Amino acid sequence: MTENQKTFSGGEPVIRLIGLGETGVKLVETLAMIGPEGVESHSLDTDNRSLSRCHQSKTLLLGQAIPCGLGTGGDVALARAAVESDRDRLAKLVEGANLVFVIAGMGGGTGTRAASLVACLAKESGALVVGVAATPFDCEGTRRCNQATGGLRDLKQASDVVFHFSNQDVVQMTGADTSLNNALEIANRHLCESVLGVSRMLLEPGLLNVSFGDLQSAVQGRQSLGSVIHVEGSGEDRAATAVEKMLAHPAARGGEALQEASAILVHLSGGEQLSLAEMNKVTEEIKQHASAVDLVVGASGPGRDEALQVTVVIAHQVKLTEVEPDLSASIESQSSEVANVSFTETFMPSGETSYVGLGEDSGGSRRGGFAYTPPAPTSEAITPELKDSLIEAAARQESDRKKRKKITQEMLPLEIVSKGRFEKSEPTIHKGEDLDQPTYIRRGMVLN
Amino acid sequence: MSDTQIIVGLEIGTSKVCVAVGEVSDNQVVNIIGLGQSKSRGVRKGEIVDASLVEEDVRNAIVEAEHMADVEIRSVFLGVSGSHMRGFNNTGVHPVVSADREITDADIQDVIKNAKAINLPSDHSVVHVIRQHFRVDGQDGVLNPEGMLGAKIEVDVHVVSGRYNRLQNPIRLVSGLHLEVDNIAFNGLASSLALLSTEQKELGTLVIDLGAGTTEYAIYSAGVIKHTGVLAVGGDHVSNDLAYGLKVPLGRAEQLKIDHGSAIIDPEANNRSVDLSTDSVIPGKKINLGHLQMIMSMRLQETFELIAKDIEQAGLIDYLRAGVVLCGGGARTPYITRLARDVFNLPAAIGRSSTVSGIKNALDEPEFATPVGLIKFGAFQSQTTPRREGFGRVIRKQFASLFGGKK
Ligand SMILES: Nc1nc2c(ncn2[C@@H]2O[C@H](COP(=O)(O)OP(=O)(O)OP(=O)(O)O)[C@@H](O)[C@H]2O)c(=O)[nH]1
Ligand SMILES: Nc1ncnc2c1ncn2[C@@H]1O[C@H](COP(=O)(O)OP(=O)(O)OP(=O)(O)O)[C@@H](O)[C@H]1O
Ligand SMILES: [Mg+2]
Ligand SMILES: [Mg+2]
Repeated sequence: MTENQKTFSGGEPVIRLIGLGETGVKLVETLAMIGPEGVESHSLDTDNRSLSRCHQSKTLLLGQAIPCGLGTGGDVALARAAVESDRDRLAKLVEGANLVFVIAGMGGGTGTRAASLVACLAKESGALVVGVAATPFDCEGTRRCNQATGGLRDLKQASDVVFHFSNQDVVQMTGADTSLNNALEIANRHLCESVLGVSRMLLEPGLLNVSFGDLQSAVQGRQSLGSVIHVEGSGEDRAATAVEKMLAHPAARGGEALQEASAILVHLSGGEQLSLAEMNKVTEEIKQHASAVDLVVGASGPGRDEALQVTVVIAHQVKLTEVEPDLSASIESQSSEVANVSFTETFMPSGETSYVGLGEDSGGSRRGGFAYTPPAPTSEAITPELKDSLIEAAARQESDRKKRKKITQEMLPLEIVSKGRFEKSEPTIHKGEDLDQPTYIRRGMVLN
Repeated sequence: MSDTQIIVGLEIGTSKVCVAVGEVSDNQVVNIIGLGQSKSRGVRKGEIVDASLVEEDVRNAIVEAEHMADVEIRSVFLGVSGSHMRGFNNTGVHPVVSADREITDADIQDVIKNAKAINLPSDHSVVHVIRQHFRVDGQDGVLNPEGMLGAKIEVDVHVVSGRYNRLQNPIRLVSGLHLEVDNIAFNGLASSLALLSTEQKELGTLVIDLGAGTTEYAIYSAGVIKHTGVLAVGGDHVSNDLAYGLKVPLGRAEQLKIDHGSAIIDPEANNRSVDLSTDSVIPGKKINLGHLQMIMSMRLQETFELIAKDIEQAGLIDYLRAGVVLCGGGARTPYITRLARDVFNLPAAIGRSSTVSGIKNALDEPEFATPVGLIKFGAFQSQTTPRREGFGRVIRKQFASLFGGKK
């Protein structure tokens, strides 16, 4: 119906996911597979190998002249050259979208450099820009972590809101025993959930709609950091369970995140029996923690969920005292300058940098010099054994530092993956049996 | 002499939108000259859930088919399906009133009209009324009673009906694209028309179309259609079960199904696993092949068992002397014929569109049975177009030839 409209005028917003670098590509591929429907997905990298694994999204090789499909190996200068050379194609890519998710892992070359540029271009074209960024494990080395901090800062400046998740956080949440795979999977789930949460809110047909405009006024131009909490409550008092899980969610930081929020969007989906009492219960709890904040509430009725699903998008406005002088520059001038900002020397070594907490913005606030820049480890260069041992070491270090604050990890419900396909359609009930449920479960088979 | 006619079949399926273009010669030979396909994004369980996506997908498939066939498509025969559709038999009765008791054409029209007077729920409408057999004074199996003597004439018909609104959805969508809908046909019926030979219809055959969102089935016996049904269960359910059980994303599950799927459990499989380490989404995850096959075979077996139960209730299981013919994408599942054989206790095979000619692709792939069958359906129907009315008995021709009766 609505094809490439420039300014948003009702109907379904044009939403585009753009994944940059290996991490971004991975995340976009996952997102393209598990929904949300009606969203365009693009994967961009300087590395042919990572693009060759794409099946769900449209791919674009950056820097065909240099580094001609070989990736940048963490070289920011090379990445900059590659990304800049494709400026026009990138501008075309974001054209006509209302909402652009810019998704990347920070710390390498491609994602770090390309994210802020794409965000700028999207902003220029008039879209609302949501950044989604992963930052490295501490053990990946100082250079990576610093590159990441700089990249995140640039992305934040260029975007309306950035959902940031630090891989190191997973180590903190799950403890030393976690395997690298598991840690990355958890991190990726959190990152995906922020995209899914926001788009579900905007696209799911609702009784009470959270509109694109609501999101816009909550985050636009605020250069804020954000986090998304998605929980599911079931059983007798599903609202109470959901509230409990919501506050226990790592991103809620025991309710602190709600207190610091500058805007909160809540979306409930609970099937036919979703009641006003349940909505009240959830919103009241949020208001208790965040009384003064803008609260937008949405709800979608139908669907066949027995469970009450609650998605909370929290935006934390960056405090002015934390903002670097050059942040005050307008976005327009940023967009042309950002590629020239050399941040490599401007940040603290990772040991002292704490950008770990969601919503915390400290990366750019302290300056300090450092001399030695070790070569960035590429994912291929590290053997799994080495990685595991590095993680263990990092975890040990972490647990010393943050013993008091061991948060139990709330796994995101798998239902977002498995129920999706039949969500929009009438359930298949045959002689009282719900055939949408896996046969093996209805027949009591156990996988072992 | 060769007065050919272009007939187009359109299936708006759950996984793909498919357009087949057929050239039908005067003597009813169907030649497939074009095929257009696009991935279907707005359909679930055989029904449209996102009209704007479907519009785009239909448009793309039409354009592709037009290119290949080098024709302009103005009208289509449209396939319909969904859990709302029902198949059942009905009987019409009519006393022969003429003094000499000779059955006339008017008597036949009347008894058919009577059989069509069906008590449907108010929101349902009829899609097909297919004549099976006549009975004259209780004498069974009369194909054409005209000219016979009798006091009472009866006719058995098979009726396919569906919810009016849900049938209208695809019709309205296609009309909105400036395409005329010549007629609609139940997908399960179309597939069976594409695949079955006259002998198979005579001997008795069960056709099962294993689609992504729905599974349709139809039974022929003694040359006529006896029974139809649809389950809103399909390949999507198989993938969904796998995604749930193996804890992988749906897209990944779909790929695993296609790469490693099986309709039966290989006892060796439990010790084997598929390594997903090269997979960028879930690094290092291992999938137990035994689990995969168990989850899959349980779903497919259940689907077949539900059909078997229905056929048993209809009392038709002993009439299927030519066994089971499978089509739809799900028919590609390795060992699916073996599973069908075990559940139905009948020989089973993958169907081929043997009674048409043309693009090899369209005839060999089990997914294309529905669109190819829609062309056959259209070809039968167009026999009754006004320009050929001179042959008389429009309706009778339609019913008798369309669904097996006589050639
Ligand atoms: N959350 C998450 N982070 C990842 C994943 N893979 C890598 N990372 C992190 O993302 C950072 C950037 O890595 P990549 O995305 O591979 O880098 P790139 O953008 O492709 O850059 P170059 O290859 O150097 O051009 C790494 O330092 C890791 O910390 C992943 O699957 N999930
Ligand atoms: N090799 C294979 N093994 C198992 N399943 C397969 C294979 N190839 C295709 N399929 C499945 O076949 C289904 C698609 O079949 P088909 O094209 O007949 O469906 P459709 O006509 O789009 O859907 P429907 O008729 O239900 O609306 C998908 O679910 C797909 O996963
Ligand atoms: Mg890379
Ligand atoms: Mg089909």
